[in-house]
Amino acid sequence: MRVKLKAGAEESKFIERIEELSGENVYACYQCGRCSAGCPVAFEMDLLPNQIIRLVQMGLKDEVLNSKTLSICASCFTCQSRCPKGIDMARVMEAVRHVLDPKSRDIFGPSDVSPELAIELPQQVLVAVFRKFSK
Amino acid sequence: MRLHYYPGCTLKNKTTNFDLSTREAMKRLDIELVEPDGWTCCGAEYPLTEEKIVGLAAPIRVLRQVKDEGGDILVTSCSFCYAVLKRAHKAHRDDPIKRKRVNAFLHDDIKIDRWTKEKTTGFEDYDGEVRILHILEYLRDVVGREKIRSALKRDLRGLKVAPYYGCRLLRPRDEIGLDEPDNPHIFEEFLETIGCTPVDYPFKQECCGSYLSVSLPSAATEASYRVLRSAKLEGAEAIAVSCPLCFYNMDHRQELIKEKFLDFPGLPVLFFTQLLAWGLGVERSVLGLDQHAVSPASLFRESPGPEVIL
Repeated sequence: MRVKLKAGAEESKFIERIEELSGENVYACYQCGRCSAGCPVAFEMDLLPNQIIRLVQMGLKDEVLNSKTLSICASCFTCQSRCPKGIDMARVMEAVRHVLDPKSRDIFGPSDVSPELAIELPQQVLVAVFRKFSK
Repeated sequence: MRLHYYPGCTLKNKTTNFDLSTREAMKRLDIELVEPDGWTCCGAEYPLTEEKIVGLAAPIRVLRQVKDEGGDILVTSCSFCYAVLKRAHKAHRDDPIKRKRVNAFLHDDIKIDRWTKEKTTGFEDYDGEVRILHILEYLRDVVGREKIRSALKRDLRGLKVAPYYGCRLLRPRDEIGLDEPDNPHIFEEFLETIGCTPVDYPFKQECCGSYLSVSLPSAATEASYRVLRSAKLEGAEAIAVSCPLCFYNMDHRQELIKEKFLDFPGLPVLFFTQLLAWGLGVERSVLGLDQHAVSPASLFRESPGPEVIL
C-alpha cells in the first residue's frame, strides 16, 4: 500500500502515546510477520497485525485508526506468545483503540445487540465485548 | 475440606451444568466449594492499557474478600475468570504503584457486619496473599493423580476426547504460567487420569473467536469450525472445554457452522468437569445434558449389563 510519510509533532506524539499506554516498544518490531501468520481471525482484517504496528512506527495515525482490524482483534494473545521480540501486540491494539476519538461512536455498543440475542448469549461475552469495544 | 471457589457470572446463569458438575465432582473428592461472600463479576477482560487501573478493582475486591474469610487459595473453573483474576493478582502484587492505587479505590468500601449489621469503612489493604488456581491446576498439584484414580467409579476407557485449551488458559505465559503456550499437556494429563484417551490435534490452543461471536459472527463461526473440524479429523468423539464462551461458540453455534460448512458432521462439546463428575460416579441427571445444543447423551451411558434373552 502507498502511504505518504510525515515526521511532524503530531506523528511523534501519537507514537509516544501508544508506547505509554501499551507499555510496549513498538520500534522493536522488525516485520517478521509471525503475529499475522498465527492470527486466527486475520482473514477478516483489512490491515494485518504486522501492518498495524508498521503504521504505528511511522506515526500514521489516520490509517491505523480507520482500520477495521481494531474491531476484529479478539485479544487471544497468539501473536504475543509467538513474537520473537516479545512485543505484546494485543496491548498495542488496545492502546490504539484507547486513542480513538472519545466522541466517536462505539466500535460495538449495547445498542448493537438485539434484546432477543442478549437473552440467549452467555453473560461473559456481553461484558467482554462491551469492555473491549465501547467507551 | 472447605475451599474458596469463584464461579463467575456465566456459571450462575447460562451454564449451570458447569457449576453443578464442578461442585459435585469436588464433593466426591471430599472438597466442599464455598463462594466468597458478596462476590461480583471479575470484569471478563483484563484491562490491557496502563491507564485503566480501575479495571483491577473488581477482581482484587474478590481476592480481598477471600483473604478476609481466612482463605489462601481461590479456585475457579472458568478460563476467563481465571485469566482476569490471575493477571490482576500479579499486577497488584508486583507493581507497587498499581497496588497503592487499587487499595486506595477499595479502602472506602462499605463493610456490613454479618451479625450486627453495623456498617464500617476502612478496609485493610490487600497485598496479594491469595493464590489463584484453575480447577485443572488444583487437581494436578494439590489433589494429585493417585487420589482421583482411586476415587473413580466409572470406566471411561476408550472414550476419545479432544482437549481444547483456547486462549485464556495459556497466554500470556509470564502472567498465567499454567503450562507451555505452544505445547501444553495439563488437559491431556487430566483426561488420562480419568481414563479417557486424549486426542492430539493442531488446533487445541487456537482461539474459537471469543467475543467476536457477537460483534462479528462470521469470524467466530469460521474460527470455531477450524477447531471442531481439526478435532473431528483426528478421531475425537467429543471436545472438552473449560470456558463457557468456547462452549457457546462451539456448541450453541454449531447449527450455523454446519449450515455454512457442509463437510462438518457435528461433534458434542463437553465441560471437563462433566467428564470428571461422571467418572467419579455422579448421577447422570446432575450433569445438565439438556443444556447442550448438540446432545452428548450417547457418551454418558452406563456400561451395559449382561444381555437378557427373552
